Amino acid sequence: MELLDRYLDAIEFWLPKRQKRDIIAELSEDLRSQIEEREAEVGRKLEDAEVEAILKRCGSPVEVAFRYRPQQYLIGPTLFPVYRFVLAVLLIGCVVPRFLIWLGFLIVDPAHRGYLHMENLWTTVVYFAFFTTLAFAIAERNGAKLEFLNTWNPRKLPAVRDPNRISRSNSLFEIAVVVGVNVWFASMFWPRPLINFYGVQITPAPVWKVIFWSYLFLSTCNLAVSVSNLFRPSWTRLRAGVRLAATALGYGLFCWASKAQMVAQISVPRLAPEDAVKLTNLINAAMASIFWYAVAIGIIALAFDLRRVVRVKSGREHGGSMGTAVKNLSDSMVNGS
Amino acid sequence: MAQSSGNHDLFENLRLELRRGCLSLAVLSQLRTERYGYTLRKALADQGLEIDEGTLYPLLRRLESQGLLTSVWREEEKRNKRFYRLSPEGKQMLKQLGAEWQRINSSLKEIL
Repeated sequence: MELLDRYLDAIEFWLPKRQKRDIIAELSEDLRSQIEEREAEVGRKLEDAEVEAILKRCGSPVEVAFRYRPQQYLIGPTLFPVYRFVLAVLLIGCVVPRFLIWLGFLIVDPAHRGYLHMENLWTTVVYFAFFTTLAFAIAERNGAKLEFLNTWNPRKLPAVRDPNRISRSNSLFEIAVVVGVNVWFASMFWPRPLINFYGVQITPAPVWKVIFWSYLFLSTCNLAVSVSNLFRPSWTRLRAGVRLAATALGYGLFCWASKAQMVAQISVPRLAPEDAVKLTNLINAAMASIFWYAVAIGIIALAFDLRRVVRVKSGREHGGSMGTAVKNLSDSMVNGS
Repeated sequence: MAQSSGNHDLFENLRLELRRGCLSLAVLSQLRTERYGYTLRKALADQGLEIDEGTLYPLLRRLESQGLLTSVWREEEKRNKRFYRLSPEGKQMLKQLGAEWQRINSSLKEIL
């Protein structure tokens, strides 16, 4: 019976402390009965190999012991979907922006990518995951009740989203911001020989006139789309196409303008002329240095607009979300829309 | 080959799910008279319902902790054995589950 004793000993190790003796006594009795019955059948003591076969059929010690343990989980089936959702939102919100910035540095300015170590990113991810899991595990342990699971009412569920719908408040917000920014921009930077920018005298390069009017033209196109969206709050192929074209031209214009040396000369009160020249060169160089960032952001913005066009075409566009408003607003910073 | 193995695994999972509820009912029904684990297993096996010790004993413990069984250690044939039988709550539960089983069974007979 040495094999049997060893088997029971191995099971005992994994059993809950208070039930160990009881469970082992019962299991031992069952296995001994099986062995004795088999011995009675064959009319002799069983060989080790035969006992081994009986024990193997019974299952590995860990497997047998774990069947006696209550089902345990860190986060139960009720909280788990909420946990997964929260974790996904936190991780995406934390990882994606940092990863994109890191990627931008890697492509555009590898010398400065050290500002954002990927190791730090992984540490942040681990912290987020750890503390979110800990919070949910504590909630699970304290028997958190999700009241809304019991008190929900079909009447209180949100309306079915029309994928082509554009929220009127988003359109109004876009129009207000665009009009405000454009009035300020036009009054401040209207092409003239000398632009007064809060006391700083700027002499724009001749190319400024082209940039300014192109900007206003694109801005007007986008404003027209926003106004149209306000009265007919559903994306159409035409409007989605105009928005896509305006975004493409807007970012193209911005990229070109960044390298176009827009400032010919600057005059600042109490600044020596040679320092003013240095400042002019510095501003033009700074503008040029953001070229690749503008390209990267432009590609992302275009991808969003292109996706919208494709979805409108297939009748599955998701419009009217806060994300759309934010994205449109970011476009407006570049396009003046 | 892989699909066949997948089908087999799926069948095993579904079979286990199907058996799980039935086993509680079968065990409760056999414990109208007092038995210890090994004879209970044999009684079930004799009626075509094989159940291994790794499944039976945890199930007995669960049913006991739910108040449906009572147990007592007693010496028999020079060995200590744990005898189980239905508690009054267990008898009531067996009656209810038996009725439910009959209802499901007759519905399934119609459906299948």
